Amino acid sequence: MSALQTLILLLFVTLAVLTLAAGLRGTAPKRVVAAGLLLWTFGAIATIWPHTVADLAHALGVGRGADLLLYMTTLSLAVVCFYMYARFRRVERQLTLLVRRLAMDAATETTTPPLMRNSIPSDPVRRTDSGTAPRLLT
Amino acid sequence: MRPVALDQARVFIIVAAFNEAASIGDLVRDLMEQYAHVVVVDDGSTDETAELATEAGALVLSHLINRGQGAALQTGITYALAHAADYIVTLDVDGQYDVKDIALLLAPVSDGTVHAALGVLPSEHKQSVRVRLASTLRAIGKLAGRLGLRPPVPAAHNGLCAFSRHAAQMIDLKLDRMTHGSEIVQQITAGGLNLQEVAVRVRVSDYALRKGQRSSHALRVAIQYIMARFTR
Repeated sequence: MSALQTLILLLFVTLAVLTLAAGLRGTAPKRVVAAGLLLWTFGAIATIWPHTVADLAHALGVGRGADLLLYMTTLSLAVVCFYMYARFRRVERQLTLLVRRLAMDAATETTTPPLMRNSIPSDPVRRTDSGTAPRLLT
Repeated sequence: MRPVALDQARVFIIVAAFNEAASIGDLVRDLMEQYAHVVVVDDGSTDETAELATEAGALVLSHLINRGQGAALQTGITYALAHAADYIVTLDVDGQYDVKDIALLLAPVSDGTVHAALGVLPSEHKQSVRVRLASTLRAIGKLAGRLGLRPPVPAAHNGLCAFSRHAAQMIDLKLDRMTHGSEIVQQITAGGLNLQEVAVRVRVSDYALRKGQRSSHALRVAIQYIMARFTR
């Protein structure tokens, strides 16, 4: 094994230990730990026996092992981007709900209390299922 | 046009404003002449929009940070519904609309003909970004229809709308930015409620033209709308 291989192998082992530790402490969700360990194991195998990747590439109809790695990296990057975007949108939405709630609370402090809805004569088009609270957390 | 016999106390006007100190005061004063409840949602403005609106007599709801027009309108709608509004009007500050036209929109809503009325600017008014945006979005919708897809963008966005309480309850704007026009139309029609487009006059002010955005904006609105469908 070359010096470079040893170095990279050491890196993967360190990453695996850190991932496992995070999993045991409970700071990372189980599926993230599992995916991480799988990835580091794959990296270690590819470092020790480089042509396993080449064999896998041939089996999948890809010319070289390096090409297979490139394709996999690109694909996972796209997945990660999409996941981050979805997460970002979720956080944005929560932020909006929070800002709205603060605006509403500040307004009710400075104005007279709102009329209770059930003191208003019923109206055929008005939905009766909703209560007096504004819809904020849906 | 017949006069509208309408209890003004049940009408809430919602104005979403972001750094509109130049025009918000006059707009609120115009509105207060005819309507009792004018709610300005100050969307995290850094100028004195909130102070000027309060001074002019509006009730001001303040977003601590800017969340976009859709978010601000939803805050106003939520507030109005919680305060027993029967009719809700949303209005842009950009000065392209005539305050008197609000009555035109309220007429079909208050007599029960429709649940929502959307103000439409004359299409020959090409200087208006809103009109260009509307025609671009319509073209995209037509293209999608031809490809056998459900048009992704039901309609252009509207700067002046009137809603019945029932219609307003259907609205739950999740897209914070400018896509809310399409979202409003989609949610109201999905709820089985009818709506009507009402031609309104346009006021070409320097202010409105200066505020104009690029027409590439339409494409951005469309993309944002489509992406949101996948990530919800």
